[in-house]
Amino acid sequence: MLYELQNLKKQFSDRTVLDIASLSLTARKVYALIGPNGAGKTTLLNHLAFLDRPTSGILRFRNSVIDYDNKNLVHLRRRVVLVDQSPILFSGTVWKNVEFGLKVRGFSKKECAIKIPAALERVGMSHFAHTEVHGLSGGEVKRVALARALVVEPEVLLCDEPTANVDQENQEVILKILEHANSMQNTSIIFSTHYLSQSRRLAHQTFLLQNGEISNENNENTFDVSVKEERAGWKRLYLSTKENLLLGEVESSRLSEGNSRIHLNAHKVILHVPSSSQVNNTSFPTGIVKKIAIDNNTVRLMVDMGVELTILMDISRYRENPPLVGQCVEVEIPDKAIVVP
Amino acid sequence: MLLDSLKSAILLLISLDPELFEIVGVSLNVSFFSTLAASVIGLPLGFIVAFNNFRGKRFTLTCLNTLLALPTVVIGLVVYSMISRRGVLGPLELLYTQKAIIIGQVILIIPLITTLTIAAISKIDKRYRSTALTLGANQRQMAWVIFREARYGIVAAIIAAFGRVIAEVGISMMLGGNAKGFTRTMTTAMALEYDKGEFVLAVALGIILMACAFAINMVFHFFQGRVKSDVI
Repeated sequence: MLYELQNLKKQFSDRTVLDIASLSLTARKVYALIGPNGAGKTTLLNHLAFLDRPTSGILRFRNSVIDYDNKNLVHLRRRVVLVDQSPILFSGTVWKNVEFGLKVRGFSKKECAIKIPAALERVGMSHFAHTEVHGLSGGEVKRVALARALVVEPEVLLCDEPTANVDQENQEVILKILEHANSMQNTSIIFSTHYLSQSRRLAHQTFLLQNGEISNENNENTFDVSVKEERAGWKRLYLSTKENLLLGEVESSRLSEGNSRIHLNAHKVILHVPSSSQVNNTSFPTGIVKKIAIDNNTVRLMVDMGVELTILMDISRYRENPPLVGQCVEVEIPDKAIVVP
Repeated sequence: MLLDSLKSAILLLISLDPELFEIVGVSLNVSFFSTLAASVIGLPLGFIVAFNNFRGKRFTLTCLNTLLALPTVVIGLVVYSMISRRGVLGPLELLYTQKAIIIGQVILIIPLITTLTIAAISKIDKRYRSTALTLGANQRQMAWVIFREARYGIVAAIIAAFGRVIAEVGISMMLGGNAKGFTRTMTTAMALEYDKGEFVLAVALGIILMACAFAINMVFHFFQGRVKSDVI
């Protein structure tokens, strides 16, 4: 077992920011941590990187309970590297930054001269080797930070929102670097993200963190909404986290006005495929089909409505009027699709 | 009168007057060694205070900030009482030597170097520390990273301290005694010439002192600029 957490708690004065009853992670896998801001993702990663010590509970790494003595921590930290959400580069050149981890581990100049170009090549930053770090863009900084972490060939690579604040092109590069590290170097990867699409693409398993706890609920189609009754009997669902984007309107007596967390049953959400003339004249919120996958007799559609919504439908129903990737569709959320946890 | 003095002072500078340059030499020598000694004590002290969280840290900072305002005559008086013939260090016969001035000036600028070092290190983003640790650095290697990142701020602290001692007069006068050729610094010589009503040497020394201050400020601002431009 790579990591085992038991009743691990982190408290700041009287506030509990992390409270994990049990969590086991195996080696050579990719794990994603998702959850809203302040859910405890960064705190958990800091604990897994041995940069923070829990208030109570047990953390095991490779079946050994962590001893938080400074000397032991240095040895442990040399097996695990955390790449920050906004990584900081030391002043100097890109080469000097990538060299740092090797130097502290006692690698010779000769060995560094072999490893550093290879690491920079892997992140597509070879031509920046002797560039001062001041002028690098956000995406380039993240790539250098990844090279700096990967060059020491860690057993575990922890990444806190690896694609946050970078453009689409750099996001793709970063995801490929992570995929490569896991598949070719067998590096275990644990990363936090706000993007379900990234967790689906990379992770063997995804954990949802809420209020510092690992949530057992299915995180797909789970939303924080603001419920408002704007006409009698009908409730409008606005996404709290997306500047009040309208998710849908339902005729429901179960939902009360105010903020709520709801889950939408993917089988019960109804998809309408209008003709092009109808699209701008609809009564349901619209979205773009981003992905279609067929698994046995079920079709899984990913619809981007400002947030990603998963819709599952029987293949026979899908064939009646099949939507295409990139097509604009309408999404109807009936009352029976709403599950209030 | 001032213009005549200024003209004569410039002529004195051009003629490379030996007495003038002897005084400048004593000033630079004393200031250099006092800054060096204070740096050896103040930099590690600043680093320890900035780097560690301990009980009484706030009180320590308050004390250091208070010591910044310590008048030079008070330091002169305290050191005088210790190194005068009847003082604890009387047998060392330090009074009215350059060493005495250096001791007084070291006491004057240790708080300055320490507080500016604390400020320079405290400005360094906490993520430098965690980044160094996660990359496998031990405590000593991590401390070196922080020191390296704060280097321009630290150099600025040393330069500011040098500027403070080269322009200081109270300690030099009380502990050095203004002995010609031995302990006469630019500031004490200027005070003496003023007392005598002889402005030529005083103005010439004033010009050199101002040039020194200007040069120090130029270097100081250069390093301050580097501190700002280094923020990623």
